[in-house]
Amino acid sequence: MDKAFFIAKKELASYFKSPVAYIILVLAISIFNFFFFMIIDHNQEASLRDVFRVMEFIFVFLAPLLTMRVFSEEKLTGTMEFLMTAPVSNTAIVLGKYAGVLVFFTIMVSLTFVYYGLIEYFGSPDASATFTGYFGVWLEGAFFIAIGLMASSWTRNQIVAAMTSYMIIFFLYFSTNLTKFFEGAAATFFQQISTTNHLENLVIGIVTIGDVTYYLSGILFCVVLTRLSIENRLS
Amino acid sequence: MITTKNISKNFGSFQALQDVSFEINRGEIVGFLGLNGAGKTTLMRILTSYLPASSGTVLIDGENIVENSLAIRQKIGYLPESPPLYSNMSVKDYLKFAAEIKGIPASQRKVQLNRVVEECQLGDVTHKTIATLSKGYKQRTGIAQAIIHQPKILILDEPTSGLDPVQNLQLRNLIKNLKDERTIIISTHILSEIEQIAQRVLIIRAGKIIVDDSLESLLNSGAGASTESEALSLEEIFINLHGDQSVTQFG
Repeated sequence: MDKAFFIAKKELASYFKSPVAYIILVLAISIFNFFFFMIIDHNQEASLRDVFRVMEFIFVFLAPLLTMRVFSEEKLTGTMEFLMTAPVSNTAIVLGKYAGVLVFFTIMVSLTFVYYGLIEYFGSPDASATFTGYFGVWLEGAFFIAIGLMASSWTRNQIVAAMTSYMIIFFLYFSTNLTKFFEGAAATFFQQISTTNHLENLVIGIVTIGDVTYYLSGILFCVVLTRLSIENRLS
Repeated sequence: MITTKNISKNFGSFQALQDVSFEINRGEIVGFLGLNGAGKTTLMRILTSYLPASSGTVLIDGENIVENSLAIRQKIGYLPESPPLYSNMSVKDYLKFAAEIKGIPASQRKVQLNRVVEECQLGDVTHKTIATLSKGYKQRTGIAQAIIHQPKILILDEPTSGLDPVQNLQLRNLIKNLKDERTIIISTHILSEIEQIAQRVLIIRAGKIIVDDSLESLLNSGAGASTESEALSLEEIFINLHGDQSVTQFG
């Protein structure tokens, strides 16, 4: 698995070699800062609960931008042939790339830890709820990234990859709004696959096995499909 | 060393390779010749386990490439038709990454990197970004990644495209220097190059091998010649073998 580590390292470095990483970081952090101020000013409460909800919403848009190039670019430039004829297993390629994007995403999220410092200084926030909130937001981002990774492995066109992951993520994110059009099992289905519902408990400090399982199984599902899809060399 | 038995490859209804069988021994330099679209690249991709064959088996050192794919890939160095380079990396970072994923032990990486930089004459550009390099440097960087892990088998898909005559000569010398230790498969359109380095020639036409012979006996046999006494160059033999196509396409 040390090869997965080398691939992750290369993946992470490639973000910082292009301006994309800096643009995304500055953009994301600016938006977070803006909403952090608005929310704290509006709620007058030492809690990051609503900040997490905003972060979740922003990740819906950011995750496909982070992941669209991961496999598409390699397929387009022919470097996929280099990776796949090197003595590296397909699993190591997928895990390495996923880990590379996750580390970048984690850096982005950790830049917001300063918010907790601020509310801790001026108030007395619930530390454990903040912790579980970060955990939930991170899990959700990791899930979105797994979806983007999968979409990127399907095509050599980055725009198509981004659009495909937007469609899947939008469906999961907004599916809770569809429940009102359905009844019974269908309504429960849309309720259960919605990412927002599963984050709800985590941002207020409740960790349930169901929510964590939802994210982890979603991640596993996408990673396995990615692994299967890169077997198909010509797409 | 490399044995293929009845390899076929279909892309949908198009049959790219039909019943390709041959054997290549250790230390041989073999030239794959054929027109564009004859199946050279497909065959090379199957040998490097990038593409699976639709049917048939490939054995390398007696091991099946489907079953022992990772171990066999370790023995192969491959330069695809367009060099697989990460354009935003520097040459040094790229070769370092190649050394890492090809499983060279950490203590050896620097030594091997310096060796290929010297052998491929990349010393002037190691810190340059690949996107800014000329085509010849890109091609040599591609060759450098193929030989960095000292593979026993080297598969080069049109390695001389984009090189100037001097670099061409250098590359031929590099290949000649490598040959004592390695089996080399090379595909090219420039037949005079094959005449200078290869010992054996496989001519592929529309997915089938139509000639599998040592270069010497092929040149002496005068295959495709109209009169038997004629001594033909490889190029003339090649054109004669594809005579009907050159007439229908360009005549």
